[in-house]
Amino acid sequence: MASSRTTLLRRRRSSMALAVFLGLLSVLNAGTCDEQVPLLLWTSGGTSALSQAPPTAGHIVGQQQLAAYLENALNMGPKNVVLFLQDKMSVEDFTMYGGAFGNKQDSAFPNLEGALMSSSSPLVLPSVSWPASNAVIGQLQDQLETSPLYMDPETLSQLRLNASSPALLVFRLPYGVGSDLMSAKEILSGNDEVIGQVLSTMKTQAVPYTAIYTALRPSRDAVSLSVEAAVGGGRSLLQARGGGRDRDRKQRIKERDGVYAPVEFKEGEESCILLWAKGLSVSILRSGRWEDHDLTSSTFGEGVKPKLHGSICDKTRAKLVLNYDNVLGHRSFKLILAMSQRHYQVSARRWFTLDAVELEYDGTKATFNGSRNIYAPAEFSYRCESVTNFRWPLLVPRSAKDPANQWRVSFEDFQIQGFNVSGGEFSYASDCSGFFSPGIWMGLMTSLLMVLVLTYGLHMIMQLHTMDRFDDPKGPAISVPQTE
Amino acid sequence: MLLEWMMNGHAILYTGVTLAFWSTILIVGLCYTIFDLGFRFDVAWFLTETSPFMWANLGIGLAISLSVVGAAWGIYITGSSIIGGGVKAPRIKTKNLVSIIFCEAVAIYGIIMAIVISNMAENFSGTTPDTIGARNYQAGYSMFGAGLTVGFSNLFCGICVGIVGSGAALADAQNASLFVKILIVEIFGSAIGLFGVIVAILQTSKRALLQQRRCKDRQSVRLTTPRCLRLSWAKTLNKRTAFWWLPTDVLQMLLI
Repeated sequence: MASSRTTLLRRRRSSMALAVFLGLLSVLNAGTCDEQVPLLLWTSGGTSALSQAPPTAGHIVGQQQLAAYLENALNMGPKNVVLFLQDKMSVEDFTMYGGAFGNKQDSAFPNLEGALMSSSSPLVLPSVSWPASNAVIGQLQDQLETSPLYMDPETLSQLRLNASSPALLVFRLPYGVGSDLMSAKEILSGNDEVIGQVLSTMKTQAVPYTAIYTALRPSRDAVSLSVEAAVGGGRSLLQARGGGRDRDRKQRIKERDGVYAPVEFKEGEESCILLWAKGLSVSILRSGRWEDHDLTSSTFGEGVKPKLHGSICDKTRAKLVLNYDNVLGHRSFKLILAMSQRHYQVSARRWFTLDAVELEYDGTKATFNGSRNIYAPAEFSYRCESVTNFRWPLLVPRSAKDPANQWRVSFEDFQIQGFNVSGGEFSYASDCSGFFSPGIWMGLMTSLLMVLVLTYGLHMIMQLHTMDRFDDPKGPAISVPQTE
Repeated sequence: MLLEWMMNGHAILYTGVTLAFWSTILIVGLCYTIFDLGFRFDVAWFLTETSPFMWANLGIGLAISLSVVGAAWGIYITGSSIIGGGVKAPRIKTKNLVSIIFCEAVAIYGIIMAIVISNMAENFSGTTPDTIGARNYQAGYSMFGAGLTVGFSNLFCGICVGIVGSGAALADAQNASLFVKILIVEIFGSAIGLFGVIVAILQTSKRALLQQRRCKDRQSVRLTTPRCLRLSWAKTLNKRTAFWWLPTDVLQMLLI
């Protein structure tokens, strides 16, 4: 009994450490939402439920997959669901306060651990994307076909539960760090006590139940590695970037669940121009201050249809015009991406270039040149981590007097294709950062030079021979007199 | 017999280096071809993205190191002959030191050029090829070229003077009248080192001239940070500026 408990604990500890590590790894996943919330599901002791396979390591569970998990659990298990919904939770909370480092006595989750261990088939999902965990009440409501009852431990004892009719009991748990000077550990211990109370009340009622412990939002900001990119979107040392700036930008560019279709301009029935970005913002310099406007929500997202009047598309030129209303005080605002393609003799290939990014507002046109840096073979699309005119700029104002000097444009995770679009999907993406960065090339060149020098030196040393012209093995040995 | 030949250290070294070099090129070329990524092979990107500082400093390093290799090689060849010949004919010792001095001059050319070229490297502001500007690229490449020029010509000059000097020492040991004639050959040999220095100075002086022209052009001074070299003779008479530019610029003035 003790050994199985220690193995369980060890497994829990290692799985928690693994979960933390996976959580950190999943931060590197640049495509989707960067922040996840864990979800724990268990059934009351004594009931058998379907044991489901946990997700593969590093996998972030989305909304549909979560619905499938819940459906499986509720089909086979009890239909009384007790949902503990904390304001914020991350896997790091378990690592820090769960006694995962051999200090079980300091754990803030004794009741939770006891419940999980006594359950026959607990389900631990370490990373559920937080829009999905937000929607868990809605999903449970759909599956159980009852409305949720928001309860406290006191009101629970007054409720009579029935094993046959489904019920959804929701307990809201706080996580207000810093608001009333309680440390996170105290808050979590308090929540764990509430969980313990609720579970013991349920036990006295002798009704089998399924319990879920999750949160609405993650409690930790994930530092996104993908945000600050180096030269033209190449690689960079993390220490050289400011972590605080990432968080600011995060708050300004709203986080989206990064799975949505690109902006598509169709010529007739076929897609002609495709544009995708994770974030798009423009800023103007007014009286010494930069005023920002985030255009992401009006351009990208599920179900968002930006106005594309004025876009044109033919064999050699493609122009995508994004029309907005009321941007930074301008009633009509247009963002124009002009591309062209032609055949280049030296490389014997067709290339396309993003010639200009124009901002047109109130009759003024601010133009940025992009043809110098933004180009790709005509059959491929172009993708870059960061296309801006101020941070490792790929866009430059057309001239020193152009109104573009007062503007800042920033695309985050930008991908565009203006020609040879087939099937509404991007072709192979030619990335702006290559396999070797300039630094690597410089290092290789210098190292090669050193290797050549070394080779030459070795050659010279190896051709030194001891003089053996006067060696006479049969003659008398040389004697060096000690005295003068 | 092949095994015997393979055991030779030289053979191992050269086979190894050649194999590594060609296999790298082959594998890289194959990868580019197979993945249809040949369009990413871009020499212009390499030349504009690598820092001009790398090229400049490679030039400086090569200037001094190759010159020193040439001088050292020459001195080692000549020195052994002088000392060996001096065993039988002690009179050659003093006269033949002039060959050593010719070899040493080659090293001095190298260090002077290295110092001159390194004085021309200044900070510039600019991170992208557009903002760095053609002038800075030109400066980087000309410093690299100058370093190569002076380095290689001094390398071969040093070896040449060394071998001729060795012959001079041994001939002198046999017959004293031969020394002066062979010295003429040595002088021709050391002139080629001087050619290298002159050409290197020409290569980098163009860079200095461009800078001077830019000083008069008000607009461009704002874009990049290097100070204007005040090489014009009129300014030398200007007492106000006479002293602070004296240390760095006078050396260049003396040479140009």
